[in-house]
Amino acid sequence: MSDEVVVAKLLRELERKAERGELLYIGESLARLDSLEKVLGRPVYTGDMLPDETVYVKVVHSRLPHARIRSIDVSGAMEYPNVLAVLTHADVPGENISSALIPDRQLLAYDEVRSVGDIVAAVVAEDVRHAEDGAERVGVEYDPLPAVFDPLEALKPGAPRVHEHGNLVKHMKVRKGDVVRGFEEADVVVEGTYRTQFQDPVPPEPMIGLAMPGGDGSLTLIGSLQSPHVVRDCVARILGFHRDDVRVVQAVTGGAFGTKSDEMPVDVLSLAALASIKTGRPAVCSWDRREMMIMETKRHPSVIYHKTGIKRDGHLTAAETRVYMDTGAYASLGVLVIMRATFHATGAYDIPNVKTDGYLIYTNNTPAGSQRGFGAPQVIFAAEAHIDDIARRMGMDPIELRLKNMLRPGGMTSTGQLMDESCGLPDCVDAVVKASRRGRGRFDHGSGRYRRGMGMAILYHGNSLGPEGSDYAVVDMRINRDGRIVLGTGLTEFGTGSLTGVAQVAASVLGVPLNYFSIERPDTGKHKPTGPTVASRVVTIGGRAAYEAAKRLRARLDLVVADVLGCKLEDVAIVDGMAFCKGGERTMEWADLVEAAYERGVKMDEEGRYVVPECKWDDETGQGMPYRQYTFGAAIAEVEVDVETGRYRVTDFYAAYDVGKAINPAGVMGQIEGGTVQGLGYAMMEELVHVNGRVMNPSLADYYIPTAMDIPERMHMFIVEKPGVLGPFGAKIIAEPPAVLPAPAIRNAILDALGIGVNDLPITPEKVLMKLLKKSS
Amino acid sequence: MSKHLVTLNVNGEDHVLYVDSNERLIDTLRHRIGLRSVKEGCGTGDCGSCTVLLDGRPVLSCLILTVQARDRRITTLEGLGKGDELHPLQEAFIEDHAVQCGYCTPAMILTAKALLDRNPEPSEEEIKEALGGVLCRCTGYYSIIRAVRSAVKKMHGVRRMENER
Repeated sequence: MSDEVVVAKLLRELERKAERGELLYIGESLARLDSLEKVLGRPVYTGDMLPDETVYVKVVHSRLPHARIRSIDVSGAMEYPNVLAVLTHADVPGENISSALIPDRQLLAYDEVRSVGDIVAAVVAEDVRHAEDGAERVGVEYDPLPAVFDPLEALKPGAPRVHEHGNLVKHMKVRKGDVVRGFEEADVVVEGTYRTQFQDPVPPEPMIGLAMPGGDGSLTLIGSLQSPHVVRDCVARILGFHRDDVRVVQAVTGGAFGTKSDEMPVDVLSLAALASIKTGRPAVCSWDRREMMIMETKRHPSVIYHKTGIKRDGHLTAAETRVYMDTGAYASLGVLVIMRATFHATGAYDIPNVKTDGYLIYTNNTPAGSQRGFGAPQVIFAAEAHIDDIARRMGMDPIELRLKNMLRPGGMTSTGQLMDESCGLPDCVDAVVKASRRGRGRFDHGSGRYRRGMGMAILYHGNSLGPEGSDYAVVDMRINRDGRIVLGTGLTEFGTGSLTGVAQVAASVLGVPLNYFSIERPDTGKHKPTGPTVASRVVTIGGRAAYEAAKRLRARLDLVVADVLGCKLEDVAIVDGMAFCKGGERTMEWADLVEAAYERGVKMDEEGRYVVPECKWDDETGQGMPYRQYTFGAAIAEVEVDVETGRYRVTDFYAAYDVGKAINPAGVMGQIEGGTVQGLGYAMMEELVHVNGRVMNPSLADYYIPTAMDIPERMHMFIVEKPGVLGPFGAKIIAEPPAVLPAPAIRNAILDALGIGVNDLPITPEKVLMKLLKKSS
Repeated sequence: MSKHLVTLNVNGEDHVLYVDSNERLIDTLRHRIGLRSVKEGCGTGDCGSCTVLLDGRPVLSCLILTVQARDRRITTLEGLGKGDELHPLQEAFIEDHAVQCGYCTPAMILTAKALLDRNPEPSEEEIKEALGGVLCRCTGYYSIIRAVRSAVKKMHGVRRMENER
């Protein structure tokens, strides 16, 4: 038998074992690999590694939302003590563009500012205080230009132009069947308008980037970021460097939520790099919370119109939807956000005739971009609110209406994609309905001052990138001579524990405990390009790459075991770090097995690579298969509203997600709980208020996010497992969807309690009270 | 600006330093004493990441001047365990998966310690109220609350055994 035949045979055996669920560690809630160092306070974030000789960079950002720059006077700053340099557009050696997809954004503005977040200059000083004081002494003279702050106004003829090429950045469409005929077939047509707000991602660790000069003219950049290879390419372009002369390392990162995959890491690292080149010293550029809330990309505000046809029996016949998203002054990753939003705009329903149009629009607000959910929270809020509005209009039960129309195996999405057995939506709905008060008996709406209501929302969420980008992952795996297994990848983790999940997949295939693994810091100098770390895809796509590497290593190790212990290959087992032959007496410790492999010259490293099969999407017909698999979810919120004050609390939240296979259930539940509370903030309190392009509440004193006091009293979670085709062992993505359902579920619960539908987020007590007063008058 | 000679007792050790009048405690702890577990998330006293214990009570080290902490006892996360032995809260945070990005973890553990030191068996509401001043954006707080409850059980288990002896 040739080696290749042996390996192929082993792989088949491994896959059969996996199918039978005989592999260890999968589905176990193992502690994440970095939790010990984190409870000891030892992880090294970027700000924890600044050398003594570091210089500090602080930016000067625009004071006007739209203006021509007449002059920039740096003399006042240059004369200030301890200021070493002032950077402006004139100091950018390469292309002065800090954006990945559409070259619409300058790193340092030179002719025009288009939002108050635009960076005009940066001051380099010996310490932060002098850099900040220096920044105040940079004089910028502006000629104000007409500005536009409302995305619908921005589309009108004659509206002020944010960019010369016009205010419409992108139009996306989905077309299915014939909506004209669909509306003719309908007995009733229901329309609704829904609006969502700017949500700030509030990653706990503010943005920071450190540039370290190498003696040879090269640069090492260390930062709080999601996608090191993307950042490297963008910074190299700004510096005019060859990309291999810039090395980007991701330090331990304190939360990201999408915004650290957008342009912000490029900004701080480019400015730090320019300061380092100018001074020959390490340079750090950091933003404080206020600067973050002005300059970082946020969740797109949106206006969403729905028009839906329905038969008396409750079947939906047609849906026409228009989604308008305000991307602020720059497109950022918004061109992809509008894509995902348009695909998902009519929700997790099988509607025969669909016409959806999505528009991404420039305004002079601060830029919006990538944030957990990536367009889904806006459109699912609107779609699910609209379903409840339809139910109310038809006198139907909203859960029954969903059951009649939702996606099931055999159903078809709005893009014409057929659902197979991996559609776990009916199981998710079943789980939350049964667990809720209604499932356990009659729901008591209460009377008098405190009224209760329950609301449901469902979703489907396309996994990984689909047409949004190059969708592959590379994971390098090496077994060291001491038995330690080292994983290296350009995929990052910034809180979710995703790389522990990746290691867990490899541990399972190799048959060794998780604590044998260590994970290298993502480093473009060491690790191959691997696509961006976005779309919650690390465990699913990266895990699949790790699976491919581990299978090959395992096959080689099995050959060594068979040889040393003298048994047939098919009898070899490695369980929990111990190798043996079935039916045999002798065993072999992992360390001895690795040593024996090294002595035989066996190759002990492997590159695992997984390329997602191409998706089929046609921009022209508005049809196709944008994603290879979907995560499904259902939630019910139970609320109690005080009709005197409009205040309400979520007493119970039920959430069920079909994750294909929960590699680490505790990790999955951590994502459900965390996402739910972030979504609760979106529903109830969070709004970054812009007035004429200015951010009115850029502090955590004025912008509220949920505290421990604000969470639903009881959180009920259910994991559904309908395996998908992409992830290891059928895993699907989970980090983003839980942030989506709270807003519509809570909105619908208030509708159920009071008969009041609040159609613009966030649903503050004031809005509830105003609607109550209006209703009673 | 005038300099002041201050003595700080940090994690059981005395540090004698000259500090500026306006030096923030967080900067002294991080940059002069090298206690990097103290994290800055806003600098305005809103997020709670910089929480340390001052004479056993949680305070925001970004809003306190070092001179105000003169001659007082400061505890940071580095001072919590004994040698290689983890504090029950640290164990519980690992076991209950209460750690995600880790940025608020030091503040959460210290705040919980201060709570349990003065109220060894807090109710769910008391735990939520105590943790209410530290923002976490990752966990949704549930796992952190579970960890505090587990730590209570661990600590009571130990106490009961001591009583039985």
